[in-house]
Amino acid sequence: MTSVEPAHAAPHAREKAPPVTAAKPARPVRPARSVRKNRDWLHGLLMSTPAVAGLIAFVGIPFGYAVVLSFYNVRLGSPLAPTFFGLEQYRRLFTDPDLSGPFLRALLNNLTFAVVVVPVQTALALGLAILLNRKLKAIGLFRSLFFMPVVFPMALVAVIWRLILARSDQGMLNSALHAVSFGNWGAFDWLGDSATAMASIIVLSIWQGVGFQMVILLAGLQQIPGELYEAADLDRASRWQQFRHITLPGIRGTLVFVAMLTSVLSFRVFDQVYVLVKGGGLNEDAGRTVMYQAVTTAFDQNNVGQAAAITVVFFLIVVALTLIQRRVVRPDNED
Amino acid sequence: MSSTNRRHRRTACTGLALLPLVALAACGGGSGTDASADAGSGKGTISVWAHQGQKSEDAAVQAAVKSFNSSQSDIKVELKLIPGNDYTKTITATSASELPDVMEFDGPTMANFVYNKKLAPVDDYVSAKTMSNATDASKSQGAIGGKHYGLGMYDSGLGIYGNKKLLDAAGVKYPTSLSDDWTAEQFTAALKALKAKDSDGKTLDIQEGNGLATEWGTYGFAPVVWSAGGSLIKGDKAEGALDTPAVVSALKTVQSWKTYVDPNTDGNAFAKDRVALSWVGHWMYPTYGKALGDDLVVLPLPDFGNGPKTGQGSWAWGIGADTKNAKAAGAFMDYLLNDANVTAMTTANGAPPATKTALAASPLYKEGGPLQLFADQLAKPCGDSDITKSCVAVTRPVTAGYPTITAKFSEALNSIYGGADPKSALEKAARAIDQDFSDNAGYKIP
Repeated sequence: MTSVEPAHAAPHAREKAPPVTAAKPARPVRPARSVRKNRDWLHGLLMSTPAVAGLIAFVGIPFGYAVVLSFYNVRLGSPLAPTFFGLEQYRRLFTDPDLSGPFLRALLNNLTFAVVVVPVQTALALGLAILLNRKLKAIGLFRSLFFMPVVFPMALVAVIWRLILARSDQGMLNSALHAVSFGNWGAFDWLGDSATAMASIIVLSIWQGVGFQMVILLAGLQQIPGELYEAADLDRASRWQQFRHITLPGIRGTLVFVAMLTSVLSFRVFDQVYVLVKGGGLNEDAGRTVMYQAVTTAFDQNNVGQAAAITVVFFLIVVALTLIQRRVVRPDNED
Repeated sequence: MSSTNRRHRRTACTGLALLPLVALAACGGGSGTDASADAGSGKGTISVWAHQGQKSEDAAVQAAVKSFNSSQSDIKVELKLIPGNDYTKTITATSASELPDVMEFDGPTMANFVYNKKLAPVDDYVSAKTMSNATDASKSQGAIGGKHYGLGMYDSGLGIYGNKKLLDAAGVKYPTSLSDDWTAEQFTAALKALKAKDSDGKTLDIQEGNGLATEWGTYGFAPVVWSAGGSLIKGDKAEGALDTPAVVSALKTVQSWKTYVDPNTDGNAFAKDRVALSWVGHWMYPTYGKALGDDLVVLPLPDFGNGPKTGQGSWAWGIGADTKNAKAAGAFMDYLLNDANVTAMTTANGAPPATKTALAASPLYKEGGPLQLFADQLAKPCGDSDITKSCVAVTRPVTAGYPTITAKFSEALNSIYGGADPKSALEKAARAIDQDFSDNAGYKIP
């Protein structure tokens, strides 16, 4: 309380104020409340300033420029003047079959990725968290083992998975399947086949990311008081009933947060696609995501205008999806 | 007026990343000020940028600079090495006025730097001797509109390395020179014959680990397009050059090889005798030569009808457009391109020397040397547009639109290799390239 130094001037002003309005007993309450409200508003504004300033500087302004750039034909390092293009970039994205094909495919890939990864990864993280939420010897070791992939940068993880998913019979996955199936499994092109390219990326991403969600859920689980379980035991509740009626409600907020985080992160898929394509063998069409499309358009083909249009469309879609998601799943404490 | 206009534009363009709106308005002042360097006094300090590559290459550049500085007292060279991965981006992001007096650049990026006025012609500043000693292939890579903007110390070439032991065991007859080259059908037949003798049926390496949707894809497989009588771009159009029926069927053949290709994830497929043939460039010789010794044979890429072809071109040196001391810059380039330095550099990286005298003296590339084939190929340069049946070494398109060409072609190649229909993939790439050229007024160098 005492740390709010700058606010000291205000109480003094307020203490002086009552005598003036003393004639009307009902009034003093209201001004005091409204001044307090104003002060809250001011403090709120002050405290959010750093975040808002950062948001404006690093998201708002660049996005504004992206919108402007998307209406121009702008090239990196071109001596030509940028020309006004109107809606041409957007027209190409949606109606030119050569461009809209890959773009819509990238959008679809992103959606597929999110639709699969969000529930699967959240459920898996929950399962792991429950598994690791017990008093075992060396539990710390197990927890670190599951958390390990998160520590490695995605680029490194993707390079390693390139060896696992390699299409020859020397690829680790193929040779493992070969051994397990008593030699009935031949070489399969996991990354090059359009049916499994996205699936491979999904598996690799879940493996890399699940530890992070697990740690957050683990923290949530440890907030649930043990007495609840003891009481449930006395009531002879089964394991499933305990999970259903104590564990899940206990971590509902955490779960919603984790699901939200996962879905936002899952729209950003880029590193693994970029590394696997450059490393050879990835079916580019089947694995392409919107971020990949935008980055290669801007920096491999120097076509900034087009890339800006892609990001604008993508931004709008992600914002819309996030709003819908917030409507559908809402943490308890917000009601 | 033009100089203020230029400076204004430059400042604004530099700010592009931060203030696109200002840049939108200001970059427009594209008046045709010719990029021409000031000759200067020929004395004083000049700055030099080079890409940081293999350790041995860096040492060769550093040694050349050191001996240049101690060989005379008029000019002092300050060398800056920039990591190879970021090198081109660094030049792209640096305004012309901040670029050094002498700089190295990768061959196919040159046209772009000429286009945005970062390079000046070197003709007036390097000596006639240096110019005439450069190989024709090196000169054609560095020329735009009759002026030379870059000269290389070394060149590059593609071929197929063969494992003599495995080829003989499978009873495969292979070419010994350019003149008795394999046709595409013979090459396919050879793969088939090798497959019969191979435990896993994979007999070819095409450096798949580098990725095909990359510059390797374009450099390594544009020769298939050229050899089929097509071209990445003709005039300013890819349609009708890149998607001709001959090119389509050639790439269909390449597609059919996938079953024979070892993914080579460990990079050792050829050196460890897993495959008999490796489709790659001169740079693998040090590794392969050591691993196979006398069993190593070097063959040209197969002929798809228009004669065997190879890619060509590598890092080159040029003079910054805004230098105030082009005379000194030229003197340094003369020194860099003398026999001693070129030989030291090509010994360091195993590349074919790009000067006539050093090439003739090279133990690897001279008559009878193990890599003579690469020298033979480079002795028949096509330039980037005049691709006839008899020439062999083709320069990648010298145009500022090259980034789009290589992106679209390699993308098409990657999808064809992955199973897409070659005709529609190539037509799509051609349309995308043409669209890009028309958006940019043909990338005409102003």
